[in-house]
Amino acid sequence: MMGRLEIRDLHFSYTENEEILKGIDLVLDQQSTAIIGQNGAGKTTFVKLLKGLLQPTSGKIVYNGTDLSSMTVAQIAKHIGMVFQNPNDQIFKNSVIDEVMFGPMQVGMSKEEAKVHAMDALEMVGMEKKCKVNPYDLGLSERKLISIAAILAMDPEVIIFDEPTIAQDYAGKKCIGEIVEHLRNQGKLVLTIIHDMDFVAEHFDRAVVFAKGGVLLDGNPEKVFSRAEILEKAFLEQPNVTRLCHALGYEETFLTTDDFVEYKKGQ
Amino acid sequence: MARIEVNHLKYRYPHTENLALDGVSFQIEPGEFIGIIGKNGSGKSTLCQAFTGLIPNFYRGAYGGNVKIGEINVRDVEVDELCQKVGIVFQNPFNQITGSKLTVYDEIAFGLENLGLSRKEMIRRIDDALEQLDITRFRDRNPFDLSGGQMQRMAIASIIAMNPEIIILDEPTSQLDPQGSEEVFKAVQRLSQKGITIIMVEHKMEKIAAYSDRVMLLDEGKMIDFDTPQKIFSRDDLLEHGVLPPAFTRIGRGLDRKNAATGEYPVTLKEAKEALEGMAV
Amino acid sequence: MKSISLYEEKNSTLNHLDSGCKMLYMVAAILVPALIGNKWANVAVIILSVFLLAISKVLRKTVPVLSVSGIVILTIVIIQGMFRAGNTTVVLQLGPAAFYKEGLLYSLGIALNVFNILLAICVLIFTTKPSDMVENFIEKGFSPRLGYVFISIFQIIPQMMETMNTITDAQRSRGMETEGSLLVRIKAFLPLISPVVMSSLVDTKERAIALEVRGFNAKTKKTFLNERKVTTTDKIINLLLIAAVLASVAWRVKLWLG
Repeated sequence: MMGRLEIRDLHFSYTENEEILKGIDLVLDQQSTAIIGQNGAGKTTFVKLLKGLLQPTSGKIVYNGTDLSSMTVAQIAKHIGMVFQNPNDQIFKNSVIDEVMFGPMQVGMSKEEAKVHAMDALEMVGMEKKCKVNPYDLGLSERKLISIAAILAMDPEVIIFDEPTIAQDYAGKKCIGEIVEHLRNQGKLVLTIIHDMDFVAEHFDRAVVFAKGGVLLDGNPEKVFSRAEILEKAFLEQPNVTRLCHALGYEETFLTTDDFVEYKKGQ
Repeated sequence: MARIEVNHLKYRYPHTENLALDGVSFQIEPGEFIGIIGKNGSGKSTLCQAFTGLIPNFYRGAYGGNVKIGEINVRDVEVDELCQKVGIVFQNPFNQITGSKLTVYDEIAFGLENLGLSRKEMIRRIDDALEQLDITRFRDRNPFDLSGGQMQRMAIASIIAMNPEIIILDEPTSQLDPQGSEEVFKAVQRLSQKGITIIMVEHKMEKIAAYSDRVMLLDEGKMIDFDTPQKIFSRDDLLEHGVLPPAFTRIGRGLDRKNAATGEYPVTLKEAKEALEGMAV
Repeated sequence: MKSISLYEEKNSTLNHLDSGCKMLYMVAAILVPALIGNKWANVAVIILSVFLLAISKVLRKTVPVLSVSGIVILTIVIIQGMFRAGNTTVVLQLGPAAFYKEGLLYSLGIALNVFNILLAICVLIFTTKPSDMVENFIEKGFSPRLGYVFISIFQIIPQMMETMNTITDAQRSRGMETEGSLLVRIKAFLPLISPVVMSSLVDTKERAIALEVRGFNAKTKKTFLNERKVTTTDKIINLLLIAAVLASVAWRVKLWLG
């Protein structure tokens, strides 16, 4: 099944005098979408609402026709998965396989079913050989992959990543980029909160810029990253390649080094 | 000013089998801005802690060779003695806040109180550090109420106030948003211009290329190379060592555009622009 | 991030008083009525404490403290009033329950003592910056390490609570129920507590290193940014408080001898 999220005039505030989200209208469907913006722009609050961890002050979120407010957090978890920023916030089992099987069993899979899903998920992140290892004996990059597999194994239709590339080196980023694209090609709806613009340019179909609790820009990365002045106002940067091409006076917006090199070679 | 000299440094953490640092030797001149790059687990953070004496004096473990800051062999002095020469700033701004002070001003005083400075000297140094990191307007705020970038600049100010000649920054911007990162990079650059030696570990290669005088490449505890950013990022084997060169270098390489004089690929936006401007648009 | 410190800067007279002075007040306020051994002394000191809290604009903050202890005191009053050995004079009959004068007086004594001690502590805690108090102790030779632990706990605990909330969110996002029956809560314990312990260990280690490189273990004698000003007013109050304690000691001794 495909995941589709419809967000209608969503407002949220913790206290009466300070509104965090000031009316968000978005439809999120079959695309990988990056939510970018300065800290404090409301990105984290927004994804917490999508997970049902917070309730909107007004407006609603509809998932495949059902209002999220009529579902419990546990019910939402079956359909919408979220990988938290720090893998240490969730890991508690003594072996990788048990850790990855925990989520699937919580959402009602049998032990056998959970095991099959867990092994598939571990394979997708390239950790199937380490299934018996204690997660605490792994490095941070590998623990991150375990935390991703733990969510994938629950087989949700929507997967949200919170800053997946933080503290990752080149190999780690490459691996996470591949996972994002693989999930997208499987027809999952992939969302991420992220500060790494090069990563967005490289791996995402759509970028939504949050600023001061509202949506400032929305569209494919070419369109969004071509608006240098607006990005600057939201305290964001263009991807490095885009910046270079703008400095060189190109009209077109290039997102990756490969795109630009190909273009130049074709001339 | 102190020169850093590292000779055949080997180190293994307690209860582990592999060497975290395996025979590293180099020198750093006073006032240099050094970038350290390499994949996770290559020994970058371990080397940072070796400059400050945290390795081996805090962590223990097996240690060979030596690290000298000027005439001082770091192994022979206590961490608190060395901290007036070498300061270090870590990745997570939250965990560097003492938690025992209610204002930014008092937070910066923490280290100075420990050193037993006079009140007059403390005030002079704190005012100066606030100014240098451009956070004077936050002086009466609670440290925990700052944004990530402000918090990290406060952490740097707390170290600067202790008057070190060398500052080590271990991935200082990895937890910050683009604006916060930029604030920190600018602040560090200002310190560098004042003659303080800067040693910075960072995954953002474009930034390393833009700010560093020299770049050190580490892999599996060994120093692979230590040279100008242009030389390091022009290496053919960087990906094998787990490092992606800056976007500008990748474009230069893809289009085979080198700097005519040096025969090296561009590493910064400015260099790439110059190298490419000759080409037809 | 909120601090859980009970202190609040109100720019009041008591805020400006030296912390040593307020500590001495707390000691005297507890000792003097105890030495005199008279309920009216207790009442007088309670009135004085209430007055001090009122002019410091923190009287409201005593409400939670007093109401919690009030419930405990009430049970003592009921139990002692009805069942204390030696109860003879009935003063109040509520249906089958009879309250006796002896028990009530005895529990009144306890209540006055408890309220007096609590209010005296409140005068100190609500008007004094924890760090001033601890710095005062450290200057007198108290361990700076213990002092640090004492002050930092007010800010570190809220940070841990924040981590705890994130971890709860992370596990609920994996379909785990955290609310409901006792069994549900017991099942949720391990997935919540293990990451909390691990992340606290990491945080503590990182913070220990950050303190270390800021000279926390330096053997030099510590100095303090915030000057401790002991004014003439402070000295006079200190003398009066000491005089009051000595006078009540003398009174007690006289009672013994006499």
